[in-house]
Amino acid sequence: MKSKKSEVLQGTLDLMILKTLHALGPLHGFGIARRIEQVSRDVLQLNEGTVYTSLLRLQQQGWIAAEWGTSENNRKAKFYSITKRGEKQLQVEAENWERISDVIGRVLKLEAER
Amino acid sequence: MSTRREFRLRAFAAKVRGFLRGHKRDGEFDDEIQEHLQLLAEKFIAQGMSREEAAAAARRQFGNVTLLQEDRRALQRFLFFEALWQDLRFSLRIILKSPGFTATAVLTLALGIGANTTIFSWIHSVLLNPLPGAGDAHRVVELESLAPSGEWVPTSYLDFRDFRDHLKLVESMSVAKPMALAVGNDVHVERVWGETVSGNFFDVLHVQPEIGRFFSGVERDDAQNAHPVAVISHSFWHSHYNESASAIGAILRVNRTPYSVIGVAPKQFHGSMAGLSFDLWVPATMYGQLTATGTWMLEDRKARMFRVLARLAPGVTLEQARSELASLAGFMAKADADTNEGMSATLLPVWKSHNGIQGSLLAPLTILFGASGVVLLIVCANIANLLLVRAADRRKEFSIRVALGASPMRLVRQLSTEVLMLAVLGSVAGLLIADWLGGSLRWLLPLTEAPRLQSGGLDSGVLLFTAALAVAIAALASIGPALHATRDNVNETLKEGGRSGTSSTQSNRLRSLLVTSEVALAVTSLLGAGLFVKSFYRVKSIHPGFDPNQVAVAKFNLSAANFDAQQADAFCRHLRERLERQPGVTAVTYADYVPLSLGEGSWEDLQVERYVPGPSENMKIYRNLVAPGYFTLMKIPLIEGRDFTMQDDDPHPPVMIVTREFVRRFIPRGGVLNRKVHGWGQWFTIVGVVEDSKIHRLTENTRPYFYVPIRQIYRPEMGLAFYVRTAGSVSEAMQSIRRESQAVDAMVPASEVMSLNEWIAGSLFGQRIAASLLSVLAAIAFVLASIGLYGVVAYTVAQRTQEFGIRLSLGAQPRDVLGLIVRQGLAFALAGTAVGAGLTLLLGRALGNFLVNMSAADPLIFTATAVFVIVLALAAASIPARRAMRIDPIVALRYE
Repeated sequence: MKSKKSEVLQGTLDLMILKTLHALGPLHGFGIARRIEQVSRDVLQLNEGTVYTSLLRLQQQGWIAAEWGTSENNRKAKFYSITKRGEKQLQVEAENWERISDVIGRVLKLEAER
Repeated sequence: MSTRREFRLRAFAAKVRGFLRGHKRDGEFDDEIQEHLQLLAEKFIAQGMSREEAAAAARRQFGNVTLLQEDRRALQRFLFFEALWQDLRFSLRIILKSPGFTATAVLTLALGIGANTTIFSWIHSVLLNPLPGAGDAHRVVELESLAPSGEWVPTSYLDFRDFRDHLKLVESMSVAKPMALAVGNDVHVERVWGETVSGNFFDVLHVQPEIGRFFSGVERDDAQNAHPVAVISHSFWHSHYNESASAIGAILRVNRTPYSVIGVAPKQFHGSMAGLSFDLWVPATMYGQLTATGTWMLEDRKARMFRVLARLAPGVTLEQARSELASLAGFMAKADADTNEGMSATLLPVWKSHNGIQGSLLAPLTILFGASGVVLLIVCANIANLLLVRAADRRKEFSIRVALGASPMRLVRQLSTEVLMLAVLGSVAGLLIADWLGGSLRWLLPLTEAPRLQSGGLDSGVLLFTAALAVAIAALASIGPALHATRDNVNETLKEGGRSGTSSTQSNRLRSLLVTSEVALAVTSLLGAGLFVKSFYRVKSIHPGFDPNQVAVAKFNLSAANFDAQQADAFCRHLRERLERQPGVTAVTYADYVPLSLGEGSWEDLQVERYVPGPSENMKIYRNLVAPGYFTLMKIPLIEGRDFTMQDDDPHPPVMIVTREFVRRFIPRGGVLNRKVHGWGQWFTIVGVVEDSKIHRLTENTRPYFYVPIRQIYRPEMGLAFYVRTAGSVSEAMQSIRRESQAVDAMVPASEVMSLNEWIAGSLFGQRIAASLLSVLAAIAFVLASIGLYGVVAYTVAQRTQEFGIRLSLGAQPRDVLGLIVRQGLAFALAGTAVGAGLTLLLGRALGNFLVNMSAADPLIFTATAVFVIVLALAAASIPARRAMRIDPIVALRYE
């Protein structure tokens, strides 16, 4: 067995995908999974299937758009890209996340100092 | 930017889109997954894995595809409805797959729901919605006068005017008196039921005309015989004027006088009496003209003949208005002491009125509603039982579904959907039955000729009731099986493997409980019906004091012909002579009243010479006005003195014949003949004494009664009934009455022509309905309970086939097996009978009021019922028991 990985927190996957698409431009599901794997450096354990649930949710909210295209090895694949509304949402969510993680970080520090 | 609500809204919109799109997109998604898995696998192969390892690792890293698809579905669909749809389809399949079960269940439900819906529709049209078409009908009440004797009496026009002009808590008030009217000319005349009403009648009821107008302006004043105008019903407008607007202003001859039609009432409106429909409304101020009585009837406080409807003022309670009325009536009793002494008045909700059919139907309908409720409970128990038996057969199915992840709630939902579906099918069938029985309300009424019955039919109120019934049945019947299904242990059931084995003791106990209560309920309804039937025959066997055999009677409405007293007398004498000439006729007579009529007869305030009444003694004595020959025809023995003769007419001194009870009470010391009695403002001389007979109902105690010659007192507004005794057939006599009366005067059609025996049966109609309809319901209850009993015993036999096989192969005799099963059936029957008998005894006090000359604990009825139930139980149990006896041990042991 490998070392223990953290489960992806619910709701944070949406944010990670939005950010990924924002940073790298249009990607297919596999690409997104790879990117998250790469960035998390094996810290996060991800059921890659859940990426698709997240993608559907984001699509339904109109934050990302999907288009059929051709992958690197010339196969048909669905490419996802962030929309204008998605950009705005990303900004809001990112700020939100930073504020919360900041608060949580401080709270945890408090615990440690005692 | 994105608020929570917006988020939800978009998610919902996505679901709607997904729902509209159906299943199309899933194929694309599958491609996407396949692509992903393939890329992953290629990545692993590149890392040095074998092809198989890579594929497995890819799947692992990707996660559970099925779960993923479920998640996506949840995002794109309304799962609740999908599940419901699934349940419905599955239920339909299950229902269609076992047609025997379905047919039994639906038939059972149809019987129960049909009976309940029919009885409810009666109650609905008689009691719950007595004034269809009226606005704010719940604010309309009836005003009834109360005689010193405590009897309900109609109200005189003068009293009505005082009430109308002085009550402040009553918004508006109208009289209403039903009348049979002769509409048409001498060539073609028809009988139409109408109401004579106050000018503001339609205002009181909040009714608007369909076309034309209602009474207005001077038509509303109290001037008598001045406004010959009429409002017609929608159905009369349809049948006589083809719904043409030209009906307004048309001339209608009513009781030989031209009336102009001023308006048409709306379709839903049928008049002011529950369950009855009227076709014509004319001002009450025309009463004297309609009846050829001049003006005195509306000017005499003693002429109490009107129903009074009142609309309470806004915000006023019935109690407040009642006490205002009571004090006003109290004041009038003193101010008009000569006519109103001791009188009072009160207000009643329309459904409690003593004037319509509701008075006589309230008690029978209540009893019937209770009995049909019992039938419904049996239906529920039966359905629950059927379901339990099936649940036992379907245990494996349920266990597998639970093992595959179905939640217990889901199973319960599935079961309830099935039951609900059966209930809906049953309701549809039940509604068909109820619709077929649509006009059946008339069975509840005696054969008398009354206004056309207005059956409410299956309107929204009734449909709502049926729907509620179906849901209630589904809920009640599925509780047991649902609990049972969810409590089952998956492992145990699956471990039992292929063996259907024995079902759990728990479900056996539930089934026994259900079947025992079914039998108990059926026994209760059977006992109830038995008691009513016996009571009915008790009453029927009471001798009325006259001989009703071989006698035909017919009523005539002379007022419709607008006769004066002389014309009426001439009509009677002519008809009598003609009838006496008919073959087979042995005697003919006529009178004002037919004994044992439903409506109470009339009374007169008497003063008997040399008798001093007690301070509160009721001297209002009931009477009949009869023609000579009445006692001979009726075979009422004359004890002393003489019968009336044709000479006892207007110019001769008034005479009277009294009954034995009259003499016992008022003239106990002898010297009856030639004693003077005062009534109608004159002194009568007693010329004879006759034997007592029944007057209003067979069950009454003997009361003082007296007779006076119809030719001395007769007035056209009184009733007229002809009596014909024949040596031949009564129906022939009835025909000659119809024919001869037409020949004498076509304007005076005979009504309610029937044999005197039928007439008496009419007076028993309350008991008759209770007895006959309760018997029908009890029969239904019993058939259902027998089916239930049979079902349970048969199921046990099927389940215990193996066990019986073992017993038989170990040396048990077939009759031991038979005994085993029959004992079980008998145990249910005995327990059920005991409980049912106990229940009936508890209910006995309530039933006691309806039973005549017997107690509710009638040993004969109880014994007969118990024997009947036990025999039936034996029969129900012996069919499966015989099957068990014939079990071949070898086959049984190999069974499954």
